[in-house]
Amino acid sequence: MNKNKMLVSFFIVSESIFFLMLILAYVNFHRSVTEGPTAANSLNPIKTGVFSLFLLASSLTIWFAGISLKKKNHKMLCTWLLLTILLGVTFLFGQGLEWVGLIKQNITISRNVFGTTFFTLTGFHGFHVTVGLIMLLILLGLALAGDFKGPESDAVESVSIYWHFVDGVWIVVFSVIYLWAFL
Amino acid sequence: MDKLGGVFNASSPEMEAMVDLTLFIIIVAVAILGIITIAITYILIRYRRRSADTAEPRQDFGSTKVEIVWTVIPALIVGVFFFSTIKTMYAVNPPFGDREPDLVIIGHQWWWELFYPKSGVRTANEVHIPIGKKLLVRLNSVDVIHDFWVPELGPKIDLVPGHTNHIWLSASKPGVYLGACAEFCGVQHANMRIRVIAETQEDFDKWQEEHRKIPPTPTTGEAALGAKLFQEKACTNCHLTGVGPDLTHLSSRQTLAAGALENTPSNLVKWLKNPEKYKPSSYMPNMKLTDVEVNAIVAYLEALK
Amino acid sequence: MSRIPLVPEITEPLPSIRESEGLLAWVASIDHKQIGIMYLIATLFFFLVGGIEALLMRIQLVRPENDFISPEVFNQLFTMHGTTMIFFVVMPFLIGIGVYLVPLMIGARDMAFPRLNALSYWLFVLGGLLLYFSFFTQSGAPDVGWFAYTPLSEKPFTLNKGPTYWVLGLLATGIGSVASGLNNIVTIITLRTPGLTMRRLPLFVWMILVTSFLLIFVMPIITSAFAMLLLDRLLGATFFMPATGGSAILYQHFFWGFGHPEVYILILPAFGIISEVIPVFSRKPIYGYEFVAGSTVAIGLLSLGVWAHHMFAVGLGNVFNAFFAIASMLIAIPTGIKVLNWTATMWGGKIHFATPMLFAVTFLIEFVVGGLSGVAIASPPIDWQATDTYFIVAHFHYTLFGGSLFAIFAGVYYWFPKMSGRMPSERLGKWHFWLTVIGFNLTFLVQHLLGLMGMPRRVYTYHDLPYWGDMNLISTVGSLILGLSVIVFVWNIIASLRSGIPAGNNPWNAWTLEWATTSPPPVHNFDLVPPVHGRRPLWDLAHPDMPDK
Ligand code: HEA
Ligand code: HEA
Ligand code: HEC
Ligand code: CUA
Ligand SMILES: [Cu+2]
Repeated sequence: MNKNKMLVSFFIVSESIFFLMLILAYVNFHRSVTEGPTAANSLNPIKTGVFSLFLLASSLTIWFAGISLKKKNHKMLCTWLLLTILLGVTFLFGQGLEWVGLIKQNITISRNVFGTTFFTLTGFHGFHVTVGLIMLLILLGLALAGDFKGPESDAVESVSIYWHFVDGVWIVVFSVIYLWAFL
Repeated sequence: MDKLGGVFNASSPEMEAMVDLTLFIIIVAVAILGIITIAITYILIRYRRRSADTAEPRQDFGSTKVEIVWTVIPALIVGVFFFSTIKTMYAVNPPFGDREPDLVIIGHQWWWELFYPKSGVRTANEVHIPIGKKLLVRLNSVDVIHDFWVPELGPKIDLVPGHTNHIWLSASKPGVYLGACAEFCGVQHANMRIRVIAETQEDFDKWQEEHRKIPPTPTTGEAALGAKLFQEKACTNCHLTGVGPDLTHLSSRQTLAAGALENTPSNLVKWLKNPEKYKPSSYMPNMKLTDVEVNAIVAYLEALK
Repeated sequence: MSRIPLVPEITEPLPSIRESEGLLAWVASIDHKQIGIMYLIATLFFFLVGGIEALLMRIQLVRPENDFISPEVFNQLFTMHGTTMIFFVVMPFLIGIGVYLVPLMIGARDMAFPRLNALSYWLFVLGGLLLYFSFFTQSGAPDVGWFAYTPLSEKPFTLNKGPTYWVLGLLATGIGSVASGLNNIVTIITLRTPGLTMRRLPLFVWMILVTSFLLIFVMPIITSAFAMLLLDRLLGATFFMPATGGSAILYQHFFWGFGHPEVYILILPAFGIISEVIPVFSRKPIYGYEFVAGSTVAIGLLSLGVWAHHMFAVGLGNVFNAFFAIASMLIAIPTGIKVLNWTATMWGGKIHFATPMLFAVTFLIEFVVGGLSGVAIASPPIDWQATDTYFIVAHFHYTLFGGSLFAIFAGVYYWFPKMSGRMPSERLGKWHFWLTVIGFNLTFLVQHLLGLMGMPRRVYTYHDLPYWGDMNLISTVGSLILGLSVIVFVWNIIASLRSGIPAGNNPWNAWTLEWATTSPPPVHNFDLVPPVHGRRPLWDLAHPDMPDK
């Protein structure tokens, strides 16, 4: 295995454990919230579910970006990257809406353990999405400047691995926070 | 030896079981250490390089048979350790079912609130127990984590806010057993001592009977003035509300402020004048009392029996 | 003699001081050897600071009811002492010496990611600065103990900013350590010279590899717990505040979920050092290579499942405690395999008592003392007496000082010629050794007894109970002797750097690849790497008639 991709893969192992701990904290407190806001009485699963689809779709688009790279199709690479970024931004926008909505109802990180664990978990995920978006933007910039002629690029592939990971984490987070509360 | 505390003076069945286990494991451990030390010393002497000799020794890469031997032997020892551990653990800490506690201990920074639910007695820092009886103690904390530990009477157990613990407490002979808070709990962790006074059933009943009664408020002399001041100076804001220790039978206690001072009238004077000096940073404020006021309050507190 | 060229990984030589002189050349360096040496210098500095903190504590404890130091300051001292010694001395020392040696031992030019390597180092320095900056804040350094149990470390109970700096400092170094772990893993997997298979890897490199996996597995645990604590302190979150629905115990699970593997992070590379030193000075290969390497993996795996032995007094129930008791005791088996294999390596050898070997041999005994007391306290009923007493203080100083630090001293004396090109003074080395052994055992042996007699730890003062004063006096005298030994050590380093006799490439007649190059090695490490057909390439070169299998 190439050393850059190996680095990213092990890094992701480490990151997974980080998220696992945040999720465990959420799960640990899930049942102990007896009054005030909870996932069930203050979240909107449909809206967030829809925005989640954007993030899922971005995993597909970055996969296509990788294929374009292999085929040395530079133009499509740029397009897929751009699309990935747009989808990612849309997802973040959805998260922003959710947060603003909650904060308007005075549900904050310091309100109760639900607020604490919810904002921490989604906040750290959002932070990772943001970092991923910055890296994607750099890739796009470099690509537009003529880089990544293919058929291989550690940078594109590494960011892509990372992006799939961020996406995967969201599936777990979404299941734990939303599906668990509403199913 | 009985001057020494801790494992050297086990005074309850629980502690005796724990000491037996400790002795057993320590003896085996010392034996292992002895064998290894002797082996190494022997090797170092026998195989030290003699200066004339520069040839390399025979090269030896190991033997699976030997490895198996020294995997299996420690595994057996560990098995024995584990078995005796389990036995002792259940002997010391059997399940308590749905029995109600005989004593409730609540940790505060840096003193102990004590409550005997069955008799309603409330006191602080000094636990009285009858000998030869197993009391079930329930423990909690109102602020940070503390830990109840009286070495000679057995296990320690944390007092955790938001989590209730139980422990068995007993003593097999009368005496005063010194203990301390064992979990670091802030500035005055070192001066959060506790003592257990184990006495015969009659003495214990007498103590409990006295402590059930609220002593009459003195009506004459200095003590009466003290009683008045005690109300006026807002002492009751803390000392009747659980923020500070209950003072109803203060003069029957051996120490002040969780073992920071011996309980004598002169120490009580010193304490009231300047608690900061004897227990820096404790939550008992310097009430800025005049000498007359202090003496009056001391007279009052001394009168509370 | 045929020599094969190096893996052609990095083609141009990396920038280094020898091109431009001066301090900047060090600060800007991405050469693994310079970074390694900078780690060692910084950890020596922190060791002196942490040691002075310890001495101040010992002076306060020299007699009952002493009032040399106020309780607030005493609490800051042990917090800073523990944090410093663990996170800013032993851990970065072992990472640093790994950074210096791993590429040399596997015949590579540098780490896989030299810039990431520099980043790790500077994050560690930043962490140290953040931690020590707290001394200059109004209310002083953190005073909540090195594991900062909640809720004591939460805002309502510790208003001062100390714990905030503490968390920030440890987050910075922690992220740096993850980066080092990743860097080591990739380096060891991808940059080995041809012929150097995993089964021929020097044991030191093996132990660094396992340690690196532990780093990437467990550092994120504490990173997330610290993030939560920080959110609690700064934004009013309520993870660990029972009063508002949080859990005090959850923090302990997180902390020790990291904290216990952490102690193996602190000892495994030390085992690696011992596994290099003992064979060379016994003139024999390591006995049972596979078992020494394999037991390391076993220890690494087991260490992930024993954390709650630090929580026997929390009241989590007999079944729970029993599980963690047996898991902890099992670690005695792989560790025992190591100790016995080291002992067997010396059997039938020709033992040369140079300073590195003195420390390595003494390590065996001191560490076993600490290990055995560890097995004793892994038994809950014993721990119910021993926990939070000086017995525990004795246990972990025997493992950390008698273990990690003795190995570190062995390693420093062993590789000093390689790093500096000069031999350390044997005379001063022996003084250092004997003062350390005497001082160390005087300081910490009596603490076992103190603990069993009922002395709690983390107390700034104690009553005059029978023998407590005497034993604390012995301990303090021992610590002063240790102080003296450290001065001899520093003096030895300085004097030998100035005027030690030139070392040559391979002064100890050792067998691993770092000894195949000059002392100190050139920027690119090797011109040519000797062929590797076995575990001891330089032995094979010197004894073509009887190479290793
Ligand atoms: C380098 C660091 C290091 C190492 C290697 C160890 C090794 C071990 N430790 Fe220790 N430990 C610490 C550092 C370390 N520890 C620290 C810092 C703390 C306290 C933290 C704090 O509270 O501040 C601590 C605390 C600690 C506790 C909690 C005490 C308490 O707070 O109540 C326990 C309990 O089980 C424990 C157990 C063990 C065990 C079983 C081992 C085992 O790995 C030991 C294995 C080794 C041997 C057993 C010796 C060799 C074996 C043989 C010769 C074979 C034959 C032996 C037998 C068959 C028994 N340790
Ligand atoms: C690797 C880890 C390590 C090391 C090496 C040490 C080394 C020492 N430790 Fe430490 N210790 C810990 C890790 C370590 N400790 C931890 C984790 C804790 C728990 C903290 C907590 O409870 O939170 C602890 C706690 C601890 C306590 C208990 C405090 C308490 O509970 O109240 C004590 C008390 O005796 C102590 C003593 C010492 C001493 C005397 C040394 C000596 O070996 C120190 C030797 C070094 C020196 C003496 C330095 C010499 C320097 C000079 C002489 C200056 C020269 C000056 C110039 C050249 C400028 N330590
Ligand atoms: C702000 C709350 C507060 C007020 C007001 C207060 N105290 Fe206290 N007091 C405490 C606390 C807390 C302690 C326990 C200190 C410790 O041991 O750490 C204490 C301890 C004591 C003790 C020692 C008790 C023991 O069990 O050993 C005495 C006596 C005492 N206070 C008397 C007084 C008197 C008299 C006054 C009024 C003049 C007073 N206190 C006002 C909080 C208060
Ligand atoms: Cu309460 Cu320590
Ligand atoms: Cu441990």
